[in-house]
Amino acid sequence: MSVRQWSRDLAMGTRFAFAGGREGWTRALLTAVGVGLGVALLLLTTAIPNALAERDRREEARSDHTFSQQEIPKADDTLLVVDADTTYRDQDVRGRLLEPDGPKAPRPPGVAAFPADGEMVVSPALKELLASDDGKLLRERLPYRISGTIGEQGLVGSQELAFFAGGKGLEQRLEGPASGARIDSFGNDDLGSSDPWDPVLLLLVLVVFVVLLMPVAVFIAAAVRFGGERRDRRLAALRLVGSDSRMTRRIAAGEALAGSVLGLVLGTGFFLLGRQLGASAEVFHVSVFPSYLNPSPLLAALVAVAVPTAAVLVTLFALRGVVIEPLGVVRTAKPARRRLWWRLLLPLGGLAMLYPMIGQGRDQGDFNQYLVVGGVMLLLVGVTALLPWVVETVVARLGSGGVAWQLAVRRLQLSSGAAARMVNGIAVAVAGAIALQMLFAGVEGDYTASSRYDVSRAQMSVEVPEGARTAATIGEYRDTEGVRKVTALSDVYLGDRRDEPDSFAQITVADCASLREVATLPSCRDGDVFAVKGSQYDSESDHLAKPGTTLWADAGDTARSGDREVSWTVPKDIRQAQPREDPTGNERGGILLTPGALPGSLKAHLSTQLFLSLDLSKADAYDHVRNTAARLDPTSQPMTWNSIERNDRYATIRTGLSVGAACVLALIGASLLVSQLEQLRERRKLLSALIAFGTRRRTLSLSVLWQTAIPIGLGLLLAATVGMALGAVLLRMTNMKIRVDWPSVLSMTGIGAAVVLVVTLLSLPPLLKLMRPDGLRTE
Amino acid sequence: MTHPAGSLLIAQDLRKTYGPTTALDGAEFSIHPGEVVAVMGPSGSGKSTLLHCLAGIVTPDSGSITYNGREVTSMSDSERSALRRSEFGFVFQFGQLVPELTCVENVALPLRLNGSSRKAAERTALGWMERLEVDDLRKKRPGEVSGGQGQRVAVARALVTDPRVLFADEPTGALDSLNGERVMELLTEAARSTNAAVVLVTHEARVAAYSDREIVVRDGRSRDMERVV
Repeated sequence: MSVRQWSRDLAMGTRFAFAGGREGWTRALLTAVGVGLGVALLLLTTAIPNALAERDRREEARSDHTFSQQEIPKADDTLLVVDADTTYRDQDVRGRLLEPDGPKAPRPPGVAAFPADGEMVVSPALKELLASDDGKLLRERLPYRISGTIGEQGLVGSQELAFFAGGKGLEQRLEGPASGARIDSFGNDDLGSSDPWDPVLLLLVLVVFVVLLMPVAVFIAAAVRFGGERRDRRLAALRLVGSDSRMTRRIAAGEALAGSVLGLVLGTGFFLLGRQLGASAEVFHVSVFPSYLNPSPLLAALVAVAVPTAAVLVTLFALRGVVIEPLGVVRTAKPARRRLWWRLLLPLGGLAMLYPMIGQGRDQGDFNQYLVVGGVMLLLVGVTALLPWVVETVVARLGSGGVAWQLAVRRLQLSSGAAARMVNGIAVAVAGAIALQMLFAGVEGDYTASSRYDVSRAQMSVEVPEGARTAATIGEYRDTEGVRKVTALSDVYLGDRRDEPDSFAQITVADCASLREVATLPSCRDGDVFAVKGSQYDSESDHLAKPGTTLWADAGDTARSGDREVSWTVPKDIRQAQPREDPTGNERGGILLTPGALPGSLKAHLSTQLFLSLDLSKADAYDHVRNTAARLDPTSQPMTWNSIERNDRYATIRTGLSVGAACVLALIGASLLVSQLEQLRERRKLLSALIAFGTRRRTLSLSVLWQTAIPIGLGLLLAATVGMALGAVLLRMTNMKIRVDWPSVLSMTGIGAAVVLVVTLLSLPPLLKLMRPDGLRTE
Repeated sequence: MTHPAGSLLIAQDLRKTYGPTTALDGAEFSIHPGEVVAVMGPSGSGKSTLLHCLAGIVTPDSGSITYNGREVTSMSDSERSALRRSEFGFVFQFGQLVPELTCVENVALPLRLNGSSRKAAERTALGWMERLEVDDLRKKRPGEVSGGQGQRVAVARALVTDPRVLFADEPTGALDSLNGERVMELLTEAARSTNAAVVLVTHEARVAAYSDREIVVRDGRSRDMERVV
């Protein structure tokens, strides 16, 4: 067989792919769009590791933290950097105050010139936000004049909110609680790219990728089979004019190749378009620059080779059951009965690959990524292999019923493979999603925890800046819009000895109303002192809170009170109080003092924390508080409380799965609709003939519904079984107790069934149109 | 064209256009019970459209079709469907058997659509298959039988409800002459034995020879032909 002959046949197939007028082009376009969408998703997947690596690299390059114990002395080439991060609504804003020590101070990446005191350079997204009405409150918080923009090199994503503001006297701030450092360069090679991934989270990511990409592969395989029956008839006509069976297969391969190559081109186009659009999008607070989304050349080449190859193989595999004769297409009259043994090998092989991973858990070491990916893939491919056998076996045993049922069952018995193919994508997606949801539900406890904060009593906390007058600060917060109540608690730890004390007592100073937030008091008036006994984690109050005991402030703190030793003696009239959880969920012990009982010498040793109860019906209550905090101290970090704390990475993966699954199901639903319509068009004449001899439209519509409902029912049942099995294995791999998350199982199968129902409903109008008797016309 | 008294199905001044194409332009037709009428004419002359209009498959733009004293053109879609189900039978050029049903299920299908139980319908169907000499194919699917056999199954399906009118659109068009003749013999014999009228659309004189009367359709108009023996 000459290469020339091969290329001639392939070229003829390519011509056929686009021949046939509007219908031919439509078919080719459908195939190409289907393959293209799949290719775009694959390219995006191959680009994600690069994008994340690039983000990490830029994060490292702008790092201004030093982990060195040695302080860098002030010099011409040093810079003072103080954190001024803040949050606006639910978006993080990266902020830094900068003060160069000399003309050679290092500039942050993306910053052309240092902003002067009172000025700032901002990211394009922050500039846009500040200029908009939406950013009005943030504008109040950042009262600096904008003197420039941060270049791409200084940002990790196109939508990142960031600023560098010029500051003065930052050294003093560094002596306080503000976070910052004197640095001589940006970037930290010792930092590493990021925290190492928790093995369980890594497992989740791997499985999410496989689960989302497997249906895409199934979708591509379905897309290259669009218009298959018409192609077979065309090949039969070629046989009539002398083409042998090998030639027809090569021509068919050429057609598939042309469709998939066009799909590759379209897919690349979709990807490039998506890349540009991606620059203006932010997903789960992560944005990228188009330049980040570069597929790894090796993986992109793999996609370019694998997709057309898969298209050709799928086509040739599909032709296996079809005999194309010169006088027409003969579906092999009695297809060989499907064998179960090799179909079972796939999921069993998958389980065998996953078996060694059982019990690895996060403490016993990492999972072997190749075994995990291979095992999950085999299990999911097992669904596509098992489903035709299940459908064939079950429909062969289905009894007779009404005409609609009989038409549907007989059709399924004759072509159960086509029916199974139609629902393969949905079944794979549902199986994977069920497994993942089970795993998510199982490990959720490890990544989400009740925060212990009592958000019914307070929703934010803030430290009173050092050196600020406490009463004035409390007043500022009380006057802040949306603040209902301020609970101010000041404390200091006093030791049992002047030098090297053995034990400490926590002294909490507050007015009676505030003290009642941390203890149950018998009665209270200014000047009272209470000893709290029996609180959690406090075993020392008992002997320290005895009347007449002298307690000492930490010697290290004497600098704050002018080198004088500060002591305080427990008064005789000290009373007992019962511990009560404070709004942070902790039980305080020690001694409670009302302000009238506080000696003036201790005042300087107190640090004060404010718990703020907000009126959440007021819009932007949180941001009004943050504005007040920033006004009092630009480096302050007010804390917003949540009742549940969720690991960020865990939350991102879970949301990613939901969004990805929705996209994949929509994609599969579209392919299902296209193949459903194609099948109906192929049967136009028969439908018209059935109508001609009086078949009710309801009967035919019902028959179409049964034809979809039976395989999808079986598919979802199989998917639920495989999904739960995979979920159980994944849970065992992470050392979790096996527990079927029924709500997930039911919701995922429900979503799968809903997709099919929607597809069936959408295909009804064209079906009714095709059921007109004038479909019998040939001229 | 005059319409003799006692006609079962009468069409008068039928007009039908498909876009710019005129398919029927004042066509006339009538048929008696037990009569076999061949509708002849070249391709595209409008003979199939005439058959579709007579059978209530397609509604003419104007004109009248009377079946057994009832005006077909004024019937609703469901009434026409019911008429086709109970009174008419159809044979098409390529049989149009449902590929996924077995031959006996195909033949029983019109009875089942009329509400018969599966067993009763298949028993009757088998009787007709015997008459058309295809009872040995009962468990086979249409894809497993020859064109001639399939067409005989289609004839059995058309006759199984004892229709009063049988519409046959090029019933032998896809068959060789030997098979075609056999199908025609069986079709006309069976129809005559049940006193069914047969509207036979064909362009083959050989097939038309089985009819009692011939009508020629040309440019959407019909006229009776004198039979030259």
